[in-house]
Amino acid sequence: MSHPSSQTIDLDVVREMMSHITYADHQEGQELILFALQEINEHFGWVSLEAAEIVADHLGTTVNRVYALLTFYADFRTAPRGDNFMLVCHGMSCYVAGSMRLVQSLRDRHGVSDGETTADGALTIQVVDGCLGICDRAPLVKLNQEFHGELTVETLNDLIGRLRLATSSGGAR
Amino acid sequence: MTHGHPLTLTPKLAPSLPNLTSRAEFESFREEAERQWSSYSTPDAWVVTVGLDSSSIGKGAGDVLARVREQLAGTDAVVRQASGNGANWMEPWVEIKRPGQPPIVYANIEPSDVPDLLADRLGHRAIGVIGDAPYGDIPPLQELPFFKLQKRILLRNVGVIDPESIEDAIARGAYSGYMKVLFDLSQDEVIEEVTRANLRGRGGAGFPAGIKWASGKRARARPKYVVCNSHEGEPNVYKDRRIHEGDPHRLLEGILIACVAVGADIGYNYIGGEYPLAIQRFRKAAADAERLGLIGKNVLGSGKDVGLRIRAGGGAYICGEGSALMYSIMGVRGQPRTKPPRSVEEGLWKRPTVANNSETLANIPDIVNNGGDWYASMGTGKSTGTKLVTVMGPVKRMGLVEVEMGTPFRRVIEDIWGGMKDGHTFKGVQTGGISAGPLLEQHLDVPLDFDSMAEYGGMLGSGGFVVYDDTTCAVDYARYMMAFNRYESCSKCVPCRLGNPAIIEIIDRIRLGRGSEADLALIERTSKHIIELSLCGLGQVAPMPLLGMMQKHHEEFLEHVRDGVCRCGTCPIESRVTAVAAD
Ligand SMILES: Cc1cc2nc3c(=O)[nH]c(=O)nc-3n(C[C@H](O)[C@H](O)[C@H](O)COP(=O)(O)O)c2cc1C
Ligand code: SF4
Ligand code: FES
Repeated sequence: MSHPSSQTIDLDVVREMMSHITYADHQEGQELILFALQEINEHFGWVSLEAAEIVADHLGTTVNRVYALLTFYADFRTAPRGDNFMLVCHGMSCYVAGSMRLVQSLRDRHGVSDGETTADGALTIQVVDGCLGICDRAPLVKLNQEFHGELTVETLNDLIGRLRLATSSGGAR
Repeated sequence: MTHGHPLTLTPKLAPSLPNLTSRAEFESFREEAERQWSSYSTPDAWVVTVGLDSSSIGKGAGDVLARVREQLAGTDAVVRQASGNGANWMEPWVEIKRPGQPPIVYANIEPSDVPDLLADRLGHRAIGVIGDAPYGDIPPLQELPFFKLQKRILLRNVGVIDPESIEDAIARGAYSGYMKVLFDLSQDEVIEEVTRANLRGRGGAGFPAGIKWASGKRARARPKYVVCNSHEGEPNVYKDRRIHEGDPHRLLEGILIACVAVGADIGYNYIGGEYPLAIQRFRKAAADAERLGLIGKNVLGSGKDVGLRIRAGGGAYICGEGSALMYSIMGVRGQPRTKPPRSVEEGLWKRPTVANNSETLANIPDIVNNGGDWYASMGTGKSTGTKLVTVMGPVKRMGLVEVEMGTPFRRVIEDIWGGMKDGHTFKGVQTGGISAGPLLEQHLDVPLDFDSMAEYGGMLGSGGFVVYDDTTCAVDYARYMMAFNRYESCSKCVPCRLGNPAIIEIIDRIRLGRGSEADLALIERTSKHIIELSLCGLGQVAPMPLLGMMQKHHEEFLEHVRDGVCRCGTCPIESRVTAVAAD
């Protein structure tokens, strides 16, 4: 997630990315649709319709087909993310350690549910059911590239408060 | 053959790797690698190793390694990375072999501890030495309760080798089984060993791998494929991820052996997309193996061709189901189909496909090397070998361990994981991921194997267990698991798509204190429909955790529906509260 907050997608970069994706036959081309979308999603934080069209052209398929994947797999986003991106672990260790309270607090206090962005555009959250792999620090979130563990509703709110300050003083938007 | 692409997850290629063209060349490469490896343990060697995997990196192990590198720059010390060793509770750890000393492991090292650590001022943080003998008052690491009860076969190299070094792996035996399969054994002989081992699938269902491989080999259509299922989307399992992060060559070798044994042209590894480090390390392993000449046409002059492709999932749990996984590889939505035909007849691209879980395949190199009888001598009659197990929840020492099949569950929880954390009271342990019910205190003497837990409504499944304490409400926990299944349902068939939400509505009624005893019966009826009528394994087991919770914590469910009481205070019971307030 090199640019978690790219609002626009530079299609020349997408074309450049596609030029590295080569395939021997139609079958391999089909196998690479998911991969191509993952690369774009990883790079820009989301996949636009225009980017999906480039993928479809490059791999010899239709944009409908590409969109069917974008809307099925939970990792993809079809709209830009906020300035910050937070994965909220809701795996079982985190659940038994109280991640439900974090999810509820995000919804009640910050108005965001899974996949949504706060009204000020500061933060997009994604609730993950799978385990983020650091269960002994449950409950835990991954904010941009950093993990924050052993959270309570209060420490999570502090974290988000600090983030908002940093984002607004940094003048990102 | 394609390994993926040089964009975000580019493996660092080792340009120094030669291209080997014969078994003899491989053997001399191995001898050189062994020489290098043994140089780490000569008496005056000075080696500092930091364990880096996705768990320890999240706790700063990467910064610890960077600090160590910085401090030791310009000295004779060798600074290296290994993967984590499964003991999450000791992360980040550093292993230091000073001249004249055995390697000593220090636990919970912060970056700021590094100067003191290297100046040997943190003796009190030493928790074990590598080897059989104690050093001063430091016991051997393997004598610690966390390690003592383990039987580390799959994990033998995990936390030991640098997972990004093919030389380390080969020095420790990687690809020796593959050599036998390429040059010494017939396909049938390999399958025979797997059959004798009675290796059962580790992906959940426990189907014998030997039988699957034999039908795969018999299938006549071409090309054929092997698919390694490394999707691991369950909310409480991370064993396959750790194999990728800790010893990717073992898994790769297993996949390559499977390809040769069943006559497959290409092996696929489908890895859960949420695990970037697992993907990165496996890609690196495959790229190095290809550069060495272990993948490709006419491998080492054996006349055998083996291809490999790596694919990453997109965050849909259902893609772990065999047929859905294959659709996902084919670039469509991953939704299961009805069977037959089974995938060994018609799988990926409608061709015969042998699909196995990563842990299953990671067992293969040792089975080939030591024989199926050796493998079958471990464990119990019907469940041979070892099992990777993770326990989560409020236990003292969380982590990934490998135990012999048949080890009593209680010993695992109490001895290896150290029992409950202070201040927490054991209530139960959820088994079988989200596919079975919990076990209670009185069931804990059950042996860990494929079949024994069924009697108590539990299941080994993929070996992920979650201990919960008395602050966890059984009703709410059951809802959490139902919600997982509802969310992850692919919506292809009606019983699963509509039945699971219907059950959640009932539980929510109960959680709000508006349920009645009739609701419990309604849950059972609806569950029966979902279980009997759903198309795939997800729906067929989706209500099991709920039914298990209802059975094991019946009183608690009754309290909710009869008395409007949630003893844990978790459920948003409102009607009675407002009723009381109104009085
Ligand atoms: C909903 C669902 C999810 C599954 N997820 C996985 C998974 O993540 N990994 C896995 O190996 N098997 C998973 N399985 C089981 C596979 O369908 C299949 O049985 C298994 O990969 C076969 O390998 P094995 O015989 O080596 O266990 C899942 C099954 C279902 C129904
Ligand atoms: S049981 Fe559920 S997950 Fe399986 S095919 Fe039907 S809807 Fe999809
Ligand atoms: S369940 Fe949250 S980190 Fe494992």
